[in-house]
Amino acid sequence: MAGIKTIIGLSFVLAIGFLLVILSAALFHEYLTLLVVATYVIAPLPNYICGRAANPDDFMESSGSGVVDFGRFLTGFFVVMGIALPVLLYHASTIQGGAAAMSIVGGLLIYGTIISFTMFFQEDQEF
Amino acid sequence: MSSSRLFRFPKPAWLNSANTRTAGVYAAGALFSLGFYILIDVASWSKSAMNPSDPEVHVTFVDWIPGICSALGMLVINSIDKSRLSADSFSYSGNGVAWKAKLVLFLGFALLAGGLAGSAVVLVMKYVVKDYRWPTIWMGVGNVVANGLVMLSSAVLWVAQNMEDEYTYNLAL
Repeated sequence: MAGIKTIIGLSFVLAIGFLLVILSAALFHEYLTLLVVATYVIAPLPNYICGRAANPDDFMESSGSGVVDFGRFLTGFFVVMGIALPVLLYHASTIQGGAAAMSIVGGLLIYGTIISFTMFFQEDQEF
Repeated sequence: MSSSRLFRFPKPAWLNSANTRTAGVYAAGALFSLGFYILIDVASWSKSAMNPSDPEVHVTFVDWIPGICSALGMLVINSIDKSRLSADSFSYSGNGVAWKAKLVLFLGFALLAGGLAGSAVVLVMKYVVKDYRWPTIWMGVGNVVANGLVMLSSAVLWVAQNMEDEYTYNLAL
């Protein structure tokens, strides 16, 4: 029931995240850090798709959970990818340290917002 | 079930919860991602301005072979349905399903171990023997670390999936 304040707060955090990532790209004229946004946007997708593809409540059929596990595996993969990508670019001296730090922090803010929104929506569905 | 225990210390209860299992699968994905991006980092660093080696040393296809072997091994191991390993005692399984499962599983483990050993071989033969110093030797060390992480990820995923079986069993009881 935290309604409108939560939504305003989350959108504020999302805006700050996008601001940091876009700034990290535009300030240093190296637009590869925008990949972080793409990574975090597609990170929750495998979980969602595989959750729809299999029925997790089905305990007698053990073959169904393999698909769900694969979705979780891919989500974990993408989340770490969002952190590893700027570090990798910094290590190869394609971007500078400041840009790497800004895009990591911004990406984590974006992903945190997405996760929080998903949790709120799930609560809405249950009751 | 608890009376037929072998060891003095009981298995902690949190090991059987569904949340631990989920966290294990996420952690396996994270570890695999870390290993994969260390491999990519080695390759991109090799061609970047940060590579100071003078005669130039670059990543070639040889450096990629251990990583490919490890990833294939992980794929093979985790595509096997674990319940088929003891399937011969059940009536529904056909002839020698467990035998085939064990053979494929053995191939998977051989690929995984071969990947790790191969990365160590690349480190020694390509970098240590030729006496390269630290920034250059990262190309070999990173390779070993990446393959170790893929192996660790595979182990975590294996444990998490076996955990699920125990969990299901407890529910069925």
